[in-house]
Amino acid sequence: MMGKRSICVIDDDEIYQMIMHKVIGRVGFFDEKKRYCSAVSALQDFQDLEKPLPDVILLDINMPEVDGWQFIENMRKLRPGFTEETRIYLVTSSIAHSDIEKTRTYQEIHEFVSKPVSMAKLKEIGESLFIKKQ
Amino acid sequence: MKKNHVPYFSPPLIKRPVAAGVITFLFFTALGFFILWQRFHLALKEEEQETSAISNLIEQNIEQSLAYSYAAALSLALQVDKDGNVSDFEEIAGPIVDNNPNIDAVQMVPGGVIKKVYPFEEHKDALNYNILQDPEVNKEAFKAIDTKKMYFAGPLELKQGGIAVIGRLPVFIKNEFWGFSAVIIYLDNLLEQSGIKHLGASKFAIQFGKVNPETGTETFFLPEIANMGNSYSEEITLPEGDWRIYVAPLNNHHILEAQFPIAILLFFVSVFLGWLAYLLARQPARLQVLLENQAKEMAKNELKFQTIFNQAAIGMAWVDSKTGRLLQSNKKLQEQLGYSNEELVNMEYSKISHPLDIQENKRLMAELSSNKRRGYSQQNRLAKKNGDYIWTKLTVSPLWETGEEPTTHIALVEDISARVQAQQKLKEKERRFRALVENSHDVILILNKEGQLTYFSPALKRITGYNDEELLQINVASLLHQDDLENIREQMKFIYHNPGIPCAGAVARAKTKNGKWLWAESTITNCIKEENINGFIINLRDITEKKEAEMHLKNSYQMLMEKNARLLNFSYIVSHNLRSHTTNLESLLHLYNTSCCEQERKTYMNLLFTVCNALNNSLYDLNDVVSIHTDLNLKVEELAVNTCLKKALEVLKSQIKSLNARVVVKVPEEMVVAFNAAYMESVLLNFLTNALRYRDTRRTPEMVVHGYLENSKWVLEISDNGIGIDMKKNSGKLFGLYKTFTKREGSRGIGLFMARNQIHAMGGEVTVKSKVGVGTTFKIMFK
Repeated sequence: MMGKRSICVIDDDEIYQMIMHKVIGRVGFFDEKKRYCSAVSALQDFQDLEKPLPDVILLDINMPEVDGWQFIENMRKLRPGFTEETRIYLVTSSIAHSDIEKTRTYQEIHEFVSKPVSMAKLKEIGESLFIKKQ
Repeated sequence: MKKNHVPYFSPPLIKRPVAAGVITFLFFTALGFFILWQRFHLALKEEEQETSAISNLIEQNIEQSLAYSYAAALSLALQVDKDGNVSDFEEIAGPIVDNNPNIDAVQMVPGGVIKKVYPFEEHKDALNYNILQDPEVNKEAFKAIDTKKMYFAGPLELKQGGIAVIGRLPVFIKNEFWGFSAVIIYLDNLLEQSGIKHLGASKFAIQFGKVNPETGTETFFLPEIANMGNSYSEEITLPEGDWRIYVAPLNNHHILEAQFPIAILLFFVSVFLGWLAYLLARQPARLQVLLENQAKEMAKNELKFQTIFNQAAIGMAWVDSKTGRLLQSNKKLQEQLGYSNEELVNMEYSKISHPLDIQENKRLMAELSSNKRRGYSQQNRLAKKNGDYIWTKLTVSPLWETGEEPTTHIALVEDISARVQAQQKLKEKERRFRALVENSHDVILILNKEGQLTYFSPALKRITGYNDEELLQINVASLLHQDDLENIREQMKFIYHNPGIPCAGAVARAKTKNGKWLWAESTITNCIKEENINGFIINLRDITEKKEAEMHLKNSYQMLMEKNARLLNFSYIVSHNLRSHTTNLESLLHLYNTSCCEQERKTYMNLLFTVCNALNNSLYDLNDVVSIHTDLNLKVEELAVNTCLKKALEVLKSQIKSLNARVVVKVPEEMVVAFNAAYMESVLLNFLTNALRYRDTRRTPEMVVHGYLENSKWVLEISDNGIGIDMKKNSGKLFGLYKTFTKREGSRGIGLFMARNQIHAMGGEVTVKSKVGVGTTFKIMFK
């Protein structure tokens, strides 16, 4: 039996949060689910170096105060080498080419995922995580 | 111009100066010596006269002495009585001898024997001496007896001593010789008495001599004097004793000697005069040589000038000033005019002058004739033989001296046709270029170093509106736009250091007379060092229209870019904001489909409603945004900002009250802007609401609304003391759609987006200044 994994969703869209909660539950790979309605609150949690980061972070781009890009930049300062602990998936409803382009300039981003996130995609993320662990 | 030999008078001597000198010398020497000779003789005569006078004096003195002696002898003789006895000899002889200095002694000699003497002592030795028996002395004694006259014997040596003369008077008693009464005079005494010793003793030589009556020979008793015989002498003959006294000038050479210096002087004077005569005689010959040389030189010069005249590269004519007829012409002139010399000679110069030039020529000639000027120059056309005219530079020089009557003059004729033609061509060219410059649409200027215009083509007046005087006085730099000055200054610096290189593309605005700005593009060339220009040549073109078109284009481009940005933003909204709803819908529907729990399905359904609502709102927002830019029939009115502001604050009244916010309004009543009323309300509400919404909860909210004029445009500032915005992070997305920076309630990210779009639609602009924790100021600049 493969080990349980933790996942975290950072998005200001509450409906989306709710949907993701359901979807993650149904996929079942992740026994630990966390949600942040803003990048600011996520950063507050992550700056505590004692606490381990979730295995997977699903990060939205468009958020008030601190957006997805700024979140990554903050993380660089707060936890250098955080990519060892976690994988960041940039999840956005944007299909703008400019956003995909911009993703390439951020080494920390594992993958660009377009909304909606299907169960199949989540399964794939979970499995890839498992393969990597083995 | 004929060769002239000056005739001259030449007497024969003048041809032989040496002879003349010698003759003159001889003549003056002869004359001199003749005079000298005369003088010499005159001097001799004078001396003779002097000698004669002295000898006369001596003669008189001696004769006087002898006369005394005679008287004494006679007195003694009278003492002899008839019988031949001498009585009282001593009584008579004493006084005679003692009182008469001429007589030294007396004797009585009866029968030739000295019997009595006085003074006795000195002469006693002679007593009883018979003189008649002494052959040495008796001859003279006998002579006295024979002549029966007193005769002086001697000088002779006395028996008693001393040299003396003895005067013997024969005494006869009844014609019978008795004896002698004798007087003895010492020779010294005789000479003393005669005055020989003092009279001219220094000057004259005197000799005392006696002629022997028997032999006729002469015996001298005074010391011999040299040259006595050679020279002239005066002779005194004394018959009483047959004596001769000679008086001669002691030295008659001095007269001759006195003539020597004069003779020498005379000689030199003659030599001098002879030399003078020589020089004088030579003078004409020298002058002759000089004259000949000069004549030669003149002939040479004349030949030279004749050659110059004939061969000169410039036309020349010798003209009679009175008649105006040509006397001579040179080859060049003949070539220039096509006439031969024969044709030209005697031709009046007015005949070949151009009718238009002749008046001026005559006037100048008249001034020359009246000596008002010495020569003149004139541009004169001369007619050729074939009737053509050539342009000449005529230079006339008079050949008479100032003040004299006019005689002839020399006219120099320089063919300047080519030059004149070139000048005319140049003038035409200049006219053409001037026409080109002055009729050009472009402006051509010459600007001196001081920034003053020294030339400008008429186009400048047309485009600037200034008149000539204003343009000449104006400093060009003062017309330029402030913003262009630095740029132009830089370019001028470059141009200044690169003379002769046209520098294109200097663009600047200049103020026209009516206050408008004229865009001008110029090409500037530094020609400061170039003569006739001494400044910058500026080729200027009015590019105002072009520039305006360019700016218009720029504005249009900017507008398009903005529109493009908006469209991009819009497409982003479509791709992101609308999609976020659709993806939610998709996900929810998927969950709904795969869910079997009724309760769960219900929840999904409710969520679907919420998402639909949100989608609907987004669509409305987008519609609003699109309508701002698509509504072309928006009504724009003159709105008093103060009134609009009051209305907006009224709407927010309760909110302001509940927040206890302080609002300060500093908007002047006259602030009226052209704006759509609905937009104005929306804009004001948006900014005011914003200020209240993003207040800092730690302090009393404060809003200041300030209206003022900036660059003659109305500006409205809305400031708050709210939380502020991190401009570093958010300046790019501040006015973007659905950009929110806080999680405050009601932040939809649409307000500022809408406000800015509305301001833009009204031709205005909005900027923001903010500092986190201090506040934010929005600045709306109206059109």
